[in-house]
Amino acid sequence: MFEYMPMHIAPWGLEIVIYFFLIGTASMVFAVAAAATTFGNVAAPFKSFELTGAIITLVLLLVVAPLLIMDLAQPWRFLNPILYFRWTSPLSWGATFLLLFGLSILGFLYGIYTDHPYIKRVSAVIGSLLALSMPLYTGLDLMVNQARQFWATPALPVLFVVLSITSGAALVALVQLAMGKLGEDNARLLRFILAFSLGVTFFLVLGLVQSMVFGSEELQQVWGFINSDYSTEFWILGFVVGVVIPLALTVGPMVMPALDFARSPVVVTVAALCGALGAYVLRDVIIHVGQLPQLFF
Amino acid sequence: MTAIGLQAPPSLGVPGKKRWAMVIDLRRCIGCMACVSACKAEFDVPLGVWRTTVQVKDTGTFPNARRNFMPRLCNHCDNPPCVRNCPTGATYKHEDGFVLQHYERCIGCRTCIAACPYNARFMLPRNRTRVGINSVVDKCTFCEHRVSKGLVPACVQTCIGRSRIFGDLNDPNSEVSRIVATQKTQTLKPELGTRPQVYYIKPDRIATEQVLSAPKSYAARSDAEAFYRHNNGSRFFGGMI
Repeated sequence: MFEYMPMHIAPWGLEIVIYFFLIGTASMVFAVAAAATTFGNVAAPFKSFELTGAIITLVLLLVVAPLLIMDLAQPWRFLNPILYFRWTSPLSWGATFLLLFGLSILGFLYGIYTDHPYIKRVSAVIGSLLALSMPLYTGLDLMVNQARQFWATPALPVLFVVLSITSGAALVALVQLAMGKLGEDNARLLRFILAFSLGVTFFLVLGLVQSMVFGSEELQQVWGFINSDYSTEFWILGFVVGVVIPLALTVGPMVMPALDFARSPVVVTVAALCGALGAYVLRDVIIHVGQLPQLFF
Repeated sequence: MTAIGLQAPPSLGVPGKKRWAMVIDLRRCIGCMACVSACKAEFDVPLGVWRTTVQVKDTGTFPNARRNFMPRLCNHCDNPPCVRNCPTGATYKHEDGFVLQHYERCIGCRTCIAACPYNARFMLPRNRTRVGINSVVDKCTFCEHRVSKGLVPACVQTCIGRSRIFGDLNDPNSEVSRIVATQKTQTLKPELGTRPQVYYIKPDRIATEQVLSAPKSYAARSDAEAFYRHNNGSRFFGGMI
């Protein structure tokens, strides 16, 4: 009768995983949409994606913002992080930046519709910086929790940024392919972006694995969870399908002429979608597994 | 010592300030759960969540066996990460060392639950019969409402073995000061820099080391799952609200 231990709740679940994934994707879609305005000729192939990208970002934002609000136990108090702003809380910064990001998208769309280059450019530059802050703050939200050792690494915000680049590029590729606008130039640029983000993801994941193997007892516990309950998700869906295969498809053509087929827009899109799957799954595993070791302490 | 992002600076060792703290003498704890019951009664704590618990773990096998009790509660840290992490200031540090809640500010984001190394925080369920505080994060308050009137916390009042001892650590004549100064005490996870203010005498490794705390109680598991199911229909993650 005495063998009784309270089960502690893991505070963050599926809603947060979906939010992190979608806000990261939305922010990088905006960065691509605004790239031609922000960077000029370097990103000229994305000029045709400007309006579509901004609208997609706005729609995604209209989906994720209510999702985040409804995840709160007190949804009607959703403005409190801004009204009672606390500079030590990443969530306060995130809520503020999310609002400003939404305003930047509206400003960018206003600039496009009214053909106002100054408003468009300012909105594009500020919006792109805020877009960068979205995945960064979601990673910081986890990183600051020193009690959850798996999360408490500065690598996490960086990982979330590169995962967002991948999933954002996937959505851009998919939409452009569906609209028949994914030409050779766009596909090449997207392939380079993907090669970069997937390459960084590959090494960051390896780094996380190393830190678990050599880490504290809690990190070794996390390693145990990853190799048991979450092994299929992490290793097969997250790492092999989500990182290794798309990385091979994007880097392959650069080093092996036999892989020239991977330059085609369809293969680039497939690689990007694999990467997006990995971006979702890795976030899912990181968020859930990071909370497990303490549930029973 | 300084701590960033707190409404009141750490008061431990500051002249003229109070620093309320608790000592738990595990040699005296018999696992009667009277403290848990007193706490539940004091605050009408709902089923399925606790402000204080007594964890029970067994070591060894018969005849070389021992049952270990480990009372747990909010450590009212002098450098609390939950306060720094709260986006609205709903969780705040009182100048006398209490870590308390402004319920009307809490948005239920659970970031403080993630930040707490001691799993001392929980979500109140959506529906409660008698108390109108719902769907916000709650925790032990060291019975601030009693202490401010010169009483001790309910769990301390009811502890039949005087295992729980409460007082002002800044008062050199208090019992807790004397015990902390003269006995070998230990806090939980001191390496995290939270400066917890619940001091244990003679804790066992099975209770203090997280990796030795694997779940054993399937009764507790099914109980908790039922609680989450009734509150949202999902089992573990995100099932509280």
